[in-house]
Amino acid sequence: MQILRETNLEALSLAKRLGRKKTLEALKKSGLVGRGGASFPTAKKWEMALSVKSNERFLICNADEGEPGTFKDKFLIKNNPETLIEGILIAAYVLEVKRCFIYLRAEYENLRKELEQMIEKVLKKSGMNISIEIVRGAGAYICGEGTAIIQSIMGYRGQPMSKPPHPTIEGLWKKPTVLNNVTTLTCVPQALLYDDWNPNYRLFSISGDVKHPGVYEWELGVKMSTILETVKPKEKIKAMSFGCFGGIMPVREKEIVSPSLICKEGGCHHGAYSIIFIGEKNNIVDINLSMAKFYTYESCGKCTPCREGTIQLVELLKKIRSGNGTNKDLKLLKELAEHIQETSLCGLGQSCGNHILTGLKNFKKDYKSFRRKK
Amino acid sequence: MKEKILLNILHEVQDKNGYLSEKSLKEISKKYQIPISRLYGIVTFHTMLRTKKQGKHILEICGSPSCLLNDARTIEKFLEKTLKIEIGETTKDKRFSLYKTSCIGCCDCAPAMLVDGVPYTKLTIQRVKEILEELR
Repeated sequence: MQILRETNLEALSLAKRLGRKKTLEALKKSGLVGRGGASFPTAKKWEMALSVKSNERFLICNADEGEPGTFKDKFLIKNNPETLIEGILIAAYVLEVKRCFIYLRAEYENLRKELEQMIEKVLKKSGMNISIEIVRGAGAYICGEGTAIIQSIMGYRGQPMSKPPHPTIEGLWKKPTVLNNVTTLTCVPQALLYDDWNPNYRLFSISGDVKHPGVYEWELGVKMSTILETVKPKEKIKAMSFGCFGGIMPVREKEIVSPSLICKEGGCHHGAYSIIFIGEKNNIVDINLSMAKFYTYESCGKCTPCREGTIQLVELLKKIRSGNGTNKDLKLLKELAEHIQETSLCGLGQSCGNHILTGLKNFKKDYKSFRRKK
Repeated sequence: MKEKILLNILHEVQDKNGYLSEKSLKEISKKYQIPISRLYGIVTFHTMLRTKKQGKHILEICGSPSCLLNDARTIEKFLEKTLKIEIGETTKDKRFSLYKTSCIGCCDCAPAMLVDGVPYTKLTIQRVKEILEELR
């Protein structure tokens, strides 16, 4: 796996030899984009933070990987933490940051001690005078969002804020703050050091009805048949879901996995390439119902459409599931999901209806199977 | 001066006492000059910070789609039946508190649960029986 290549602080030495500007150029040339789901060019984000004159900047490594079906960051914290910390050090060097944070989700608490020891070891080896603090999350999915994580670190409820200002310009304690994902920061030293580093490789978190779930690395454009041959379905696969937020679509073996296929044809979003394969025996309405419950549980409560709407989505799905749903309920379900998307502030609210909309679009039969004939 | 990270302070107290009592929240409020209302708001916002006394062991069963596809409901029902409590409750003998949680990132070895923060994976009824036996 490309992502497991170690760099032994050689990339940090290279960055220091090149200087800040040339390191940034090299990173830009490498084609590294964010691996948290938004695919924003990493060097561009760093440049934005540098464009603001400030006596202080902050760096947050986002290890609050809460999207259901996603576990690639955990895999990296376990298997290549040294390169991750080197990535943080390179970012800190380029951005002139003295205080860095790793926001570690509470569910990964068992990884904290070893990560702390690794931070200490790498910092000592590098001789750099910066601090890397672990912030212990406490089980709020929303804190993975860019502005919520900042509120949370500053000692407030982790609720999203309106943008602008973007955190890169005005983040922690009103200072420019760069937020990068664990995978992105692990890529940084590799992208700088290795000439043969390929920017198109992605980590896929595969789970669900398959015999060999796990973290895999494939190049974008990989054939679906290759993925299925590797992970070996337990039964005929009916659908794939991109976490909860990305939506749900049918699996066709001949197709290649590309953003255009997923987004344009499936109406989904690939996010961080977490694929939950769903076997034939499942009804998509059941899957949608479990996902809808997740959103009621995780809505931060700030925006009314999301706070109240997610509860109503669950109620409607339950009604449909019980066989008492009518055509009117299906219409209402669609309208409500769209309405929440349009009127919520953050990514959670804007995407919480996506699994239902794509479920309705791509799996009409499943919904009709429960509909009352009236 | 470096600002202290409030979440870490709250976790440290919870690690020590098992939960965040009114008394300990008042102490934190006084020490760090944070209004108690704000503190309470933060604590209740997070599912893994608790304001009530917990059982000796906290079981958190994962409710993510990957776990559900791998029969997590059977495990959940078994736990409820064996411990004679429902999700969100603590056993009478104060040994176990049972919760359902969002994805714990163990989708590749589902179904899974956290036992006092440590993931236990590839759960079967037999394995859960053994885990409970070990903890009793």
